[in-house]
Amino acid sequence: MALNPMHQFEVYKIGPEINISGINLSFTNASLFMTISAVLILSLMFFGTKKKSLIPSKIELITEMSYSFVAKMINDTAGSSARSFFPFIFTLFMFVLFCNMVGMLPYSFTVTSHIIVTFILAAVVFLGVTVIGFVKHGIKYLELFVPKGVPIILLPLIVIIEIISYLSRPVSLSVRLFANMMAGHTMLKVFGGFVISLGLLGGWLPLGFSVALTGLEILVAFLQAYVFAILTCIYLNDALNLHH
Amino acid sequence: MKDLKEISTRLKIAKKKIKGVDEIKRGSNAASLGKALKISTELVAAVVVGSTIGFLLDNWFGTKPLLIICFFFMGVAAGILNVIKSAKKMHNKL
Repeated sequence: MALNPMHQFEVYKIGPEINISGINLSFTNASLFMTISAVLILSLMFFGTKKKSLIPSKIELITEMSYSFVAKMINDTAGSSARSFFPFIFTLFMFVLFCNMVGMLPYSFTVTSHIIVTFILAAVVFLGVTVIGFVKHGIKYLELFVPKGVPIILLPLIVIIEIISYLSRPVSLSVRLFANMMAGHTMLKVFGGFVISLGLLGGWLPLGFSVALTGLEILVAFLQAYVFAILTCIYLNDALNLHH
Repeated sequence: MKDLKEISTRLKIAKKKIKGVDEIKRGSNAASLGKALKISTELVAAVVVGSTIGFLLDNWFGTKPLLIICFFFMGVAAGILNVIKSAKKMHNKL
């Protein structure tokens, strides 16, 4: 059981079963680790902004760095008009980052390795961006699907292709995060299993590999949160500034 | 007064140095790796979405294999379009 690399992704309920009108709302290990990530973020922000010293302490430095990192990212990719969406993108980035990073701890559970979690996040981004686009530009937002300078005969085909391309955004956004996290954690577990099964004689090579892979996974955990946030910014930019 | 001027010129020089470092860093930092990871899924996702739309429409109209084939190829085209779009975005930024 412990050697099964997929065992770590199992969702089980903690505490009593809660059923509200046929919908299972039990508290699971996934909800537990989401709560842990959220509490960690909130406490980081709380303690990081509580004391405003001239020379920042480490925790203040981390808070300020994460703030300026996201602020710069929004400014670079979506321009100053997207600055009012800072709270949303900051929340999204910190949540994905902390879920990924908490998942790197031994015995923990990686929430983002489940496609339903990442897909819901991506769907919220996708629907939100579409609504913002329609609110900002009205029916003119549909111009996004009609590229300029296309012959009239090709237009129906191009419009369908553009619509498929637009609809593929949430899929690629969610699959990327989910696949990276799941593949990485499975690989770590497989190499860990090699260490045990090869024993004292041959176990050293996979042990070295799993150390290296842990470093890589931490990089991937950060990078995927970054990519998720930056793509949200890019989609927001498309919705706010048409034809850019 | 003289001191202030001196400070401002020194600030300008320092700022220029920082800017130069920033521009060198931009090409080699983790952002480029992120972009590389981004493109690979974009191609696949459009094919999946296209095929799914074809499958659903096929079930709806009862034209079993026809629309899924059409939409599969349109999905491939959309995937290539996605890749071209993000490659163009990268090119503009450099």
